[in-house]
Amino acid sequence: MTGFKTRADAALADPVLKLAVERTAGTAEAKRALAVEAFPDFERARDRAAAIKDHVITHLGHYLERFEANAIAAGAQVHWARTADEACRIVIGICKAAGARTVARSKSMLGEEIGLPHALAEAGIGRIETDLAEHIIQLADERPSHIIWPAMHKTREQVSALFRAKHRAPHEEESIAAMAESARRELRSRMLGADVGISGANFLIADTGAVCTVTNEGNAELSLVPPRVHVVTAGIEKIVPSMGHAIPLLRLLARSATGAALTQYTTFYTGPKRPGDRDGPEEMHIVLVDNGRTAMREEGLAEMLRCIRCGACMNHCVVFRQIGGHAYGGTYPGPMGAVLTPALDGLERSRDLPHACTLNGKCQEVCPVRIPLPTLLRGWRERSWREGLEPVSARWGVGLWASIARRPRLYRVVAALAAGSLRLLGNRGWIARLPLGGGWTRHRDMPRPEGRTFMAQYRKEKRR
Amino acid sequence: MSARDAILARLKGASSPSLRAEADALLVAPERPAVDAAALEAEFLARLALPSVSATHDAIEDLSALPDAVARYLAAQDEPPALCLPPDPRLAACDWSGFTLHERPASDGAAVLAVARRGIAETGSLIFETGPQAPMLPNFLALHHIVLLPVEAIHPYLEDAPLAGPQPRAHYWITGVSGTTDIEGTYVRGAHGPRFLHVILLRGC
Repeated sequence: MTGFKTRADAALADPVLKLAVERTAGTAEAKRALAVEAFPDFERARDRAAAIKDHVITHLGHYLERFEANAIAAGAQVHWARTADEACRIVIGICKAAGARTVARSKSMLGEEIGLPHALAEAGIGRIETDLAEHIIQLADERPSHIIWPAMHKTREQVSALFRAKHRAPHEEESIAAMAESARRELRSRMLGADVGISGANFLIADTGAVCTVTNEGNAELSLVPPRVHVVTAGIEKIVPSMGHAIPLLRLLARSATGAALTQYTTFYTGPKRPGDRDGPEEMHIVLVDNGRTAMREEGLAEMLRCIRCGACMNHCVVFRQIGGHAYGGTYPGPMGAVLTPALDGLERSRDLPHACTLNGKCQEVCPVRIPLPTLLRGWRERSWREGLEPVSARWGVGLWASIARRPRLYRVVAALAAGSLRLLGNRGWIARLPLGGGWTRHRDMPRPEGRTFMAQYRKEKRR
Repeated sequence: MSARDAILARLKGASSPSLRAEADALLVAPERPAVDAAALEAEFLARLALPSVSATHDAIEDLSALPDAVARYLAAQDEPPALCLPPDPRLAACDWSGFTLHERPASDGAAVLAVARRGIAETGSLIFETGPQAPMLPNFLALHHIVLLPVEAIHPYLEDAPLAGPQPRAHYWITGVSGTTDIEGTYVRGAHGPRFLHVILLRGC
């Protein structure tokens, strides 16, 4: 039992959650469609983006060594971490050496993946989340429910109550603009006084050693320029050969995420402050994190390493739109999360996720780097079967079906019996209650079979 | 084995002698929204006016007209003539009498002036680099970000953004004002940084 079904049931029963998810994901879907329409070469741009990522993943070792050499030449310090724990230990070590009491954090899903918020708390280091949504999540003591909109599950009313309870000078007028203003007041002085700034990376540029971040709020720059130390934690798959190779990916990232041509702020940081510079950190540290990525590359999940974390797959997923992000239980929700979570947390703890998918293929249709998400999800299902992780009832049921399906005559008899008895249960086209099928009929009716089985009708037509 | 060696050992693949050529081939004839190279200024201004960028603009024929253009903008915004000015000799050469100047940015009330290195017509982006004459933080702190951009620095595509010379600490693209959609997907301007972006095009030299 992975807890997924319990969480999904709770999510389905929460009407506020459905409203909140639908408001943001619905808008994102509409805006992406407009952006794609305005970019006639979008489909070919996706081919190129996939090819760039595949090239890098094939030659990952080469580009990581180049990146390391160039980042060091620019004055940065490069660290390597095999696991989440190793990465956290390195970051905490840097913070302690800097005598840090508080850090300003710019939203990073890798930071969430390695459990950095928890590690900082354990080390007694204050954490200021500067992205507005991450700030909301921090105040509510929750986890992100979406990789682009971490507070997607919160309605404006919930955010308002939270700010009134926690901000020093909360908003007076009940509007979203006034709430954002309240967060600006609350966060600005605190983030400018932080000792260390911590960010992720959207891209690592091999031929210059630069780290690229993108934001719409400008919170990355406000978090990373004033402190004395800038720490970057980045997955090793974030690398690209040059800034030129980042550009085709940047063209797709914001369009796929929010429907804009580009995010408001795109910054390439190369090493610490230079002699004569008026601002910038004295030290820059880059922690390159594996945490299962080399294993994914070896074990048939290399295509997943193309992911640029745009969130389009979840915005367009019928399952995500019903249950939101928290039900998935991992760092990454939605289709990409259902592929990544088994790799990061282990299949035995997350085997329900690859099943929580209708295989309608929408995620693959909108993925800017053409990740074959349904195929990868099916791969996890097969592996779960091979490893004996599926429950006995499912194994028994599928086994029974398979033995009947291999005997055509028997199959026809059983199918005819099933169709006939289902017709008896139904009323005007729909079946409201099904013995042994309560999981289906509790939430929706089952269509009543139209007539006799296909084979029976086929034979009848042939005789004519 | 160190973490570095352990990770790299698992990534060793056949190194290809033509790697550079393969990488370069990935950049040939990129797909991008069309930009009319004969009308770069108009294309750039059209993108600046998009709701996602929502910047305003003005134009001057020579640099001596800059203080008047800035004063005009601030007056129209009902802001006092106070300005954070980067230590750029071109700006220092202008006559700023009537202005209260700061080198360090004050709170939200202050406006900041900066010189963009390039403008990109494809997206309406402004390209900046840090250096002794170009601090970064003021451009993110002020409520009004006023940017001087010579028209000859407008280029068609994002591929034109990289500048020649050694990499500065920060090379950054600004495409609009600080915004957020984090509460119910509703767009709000001025999340953490500037709420207004105003571009002053310099037509003469």
